[in-house]
Amino acid sequence: MAICTVHTTPSLSMPNTHLNQRQVIFFTSARKNQFFRGQNRAFTVSCSADAKTVVIGLAADSGCGKSTFMRRLTSVFGGAAEPPKGGNPDSNTLISDTTTVICLDDYHSLDRTGRKEKGVTALDPKANDFDLMYEQVKALKEGKAVDKPIYNHVTGLLDPPEVIQPPKILVIEGLHPMFDERVRDLLDFSIYLDISNEVKFAWKIQRDMAERGHSLESIKASIEARKPDFDAFIDPQKKYADAVIEVLPTQLIPGDNEGKVLRVRLIQKEGLKHFSPVYLFDEGSTISWIPCGRKLTCSYPGIKFTYGPETYFSNEVSVLEMDGQFDRLDELIYVESHLSNLSSKFYGEVTQQMLKHSDFPGSNNGTGLFQTIIGLKIRDLYEQIVAERAAATAQAAKV
Amino acid sequence: MAASLSSMTTLSAPRPVRLLNISNPYSSPSHVRLLPCTTSRYTRLVVRSTPSEIANKVSESIKNAEETCADDPKAGECVAAWDEVEELSAAASHARDKNKGKDPLEEYCKDNPETDECRTYED
Repeated sequence: MAICTVHTTPSLSMPNTHLNQRQVIFFTSARKNQFFRGQNRAFTVSCSADAKTVVIGLAADSGCGKSTFMRRLTSVFGGAAEPPKGGNPDSNTLISDTTTVICLDDYHSLDRTGRKEKGVTALDPKANDFDLMYEQVKALKEGKAVDKPIYNHVTGLLDPPEVIQPPKILVIEGLHPMFDERVRDLLDFSIYLDISNEVKFAWKIQRDMAERGHSLESIKASIEARKPDFDAFIDPQKKYADAVIEVLPTQLIPGDNEGKVLRVRLIQKEGLKHFSPVYLFDEGSTISWIPCGRKLTCSYPGIKFTYGPETYFSNEVSVLEMDGQFDRLDELIYVESHLSNLSSKFYGEVTQQMLKHSDFPGSNNGTGLFQTIIGLKIRDLYEQIVAERAAATAQAAKV
Repeated sequence: MAASLSSMTTLSAPRPVRLLNISNPYSSPSHVRLLPCTTSRYTRLVVRSTPSEIANKVSESIKNAEETCADDPKAGECVAAWDEVEELSAAASHARDKNKGKDPLEEYCKDNPETDECRTYED
């Protein structure tokens, strides 16, 4: 649904600054329109695009693409996200009905050989073209299509560009969505996935041990080598994020180093316009909650929730924390019924979304739960922004 | 005529176990090794492996990184080499995930929904 306003233009020959927008000009002749008595009048109809794009930024280490968060997020909005049909099969972009996910690796200025020559990692800002990133995200936000380059992760080369149409929701995912200040200002909401070193190590072992050529030492060396650049360039972005999902080893099992049970903290910035943090029982107070007891039986190690206000990099935040694992469906629905401000459209929506993707990693712990909740929050944010813009345009039309 | 032709193609196309009557001696693991050519029709071997192209790239990059870092572990080249290993490992993991979900019957039915084995009935 587009909102169009009609206004008369004084004359087509006069230079008019409004004419550089997308407009339709109706030129009526005097005979047809007697109202204007012999005068030729021109009407311009300018339509604003279907609410300009809402931009979400997601910062996460190492590689983009079909990551779990994106799949959960696009699932909340409805429809499966797939690579663009008929294009480069190694494209990193995902497109669904409402959402387009862009991988920021596509804005590498140096390909793999270039980085090897210069001795820089992909984490280094020198390897990325922030000017192009800013231009294209700005263009997409304003509703214009762009020719975005493709970085091929398999060959390590920059492939010919693909056309990206402006979507309703644009998600930019990668290492540096909040690094450049101009890009940061374009984001309507930003998320940072902060994985602690122990958990990162455990996950990478799980991922790479089956790989021929990899050993414990090589995985460790790879993490150690990238750490300085990561700490210098990527980690500082978390202070700008509106929501941080911090993943830590569990405190319920003393001495656990398997990384199977996780303690996940959802750090939510306070005072944001379209985002109201999730809370437990009483907003702004400090709560510690173990749902397992008489009404609910959990197996070892159980579940523990805490909620409370905190300060994070000198910002006021509310932190909701979950330690432990879900074993059964009723644990999940029990927990959901006690959380407030979830922005769900019906009772049990979070549980339903989690069940829909029960094969995704993290579906039985806080990572899946908080990712789903953030997905609902983003949907709520999108709907608020759209409603606001519609009201603003209607107001402008009245005046 | 057409029906018998399509039934002929059914037998030679790879089919998951669920569509066939299972009571055959070839489904036990020990026979899988002895008679690899016939077992593919009756058992579905699920192998979660990386496509060989990417797997080779990963092992090469690891060797390369270890060599580069033998001289100077702090140098830019060494760090860049390990970053390449990380990037390729991530790509390999994504390729594995992509292939994990691929069911040969579903792939075939996506392109040919009108064939006999792809017909669905809803009561």
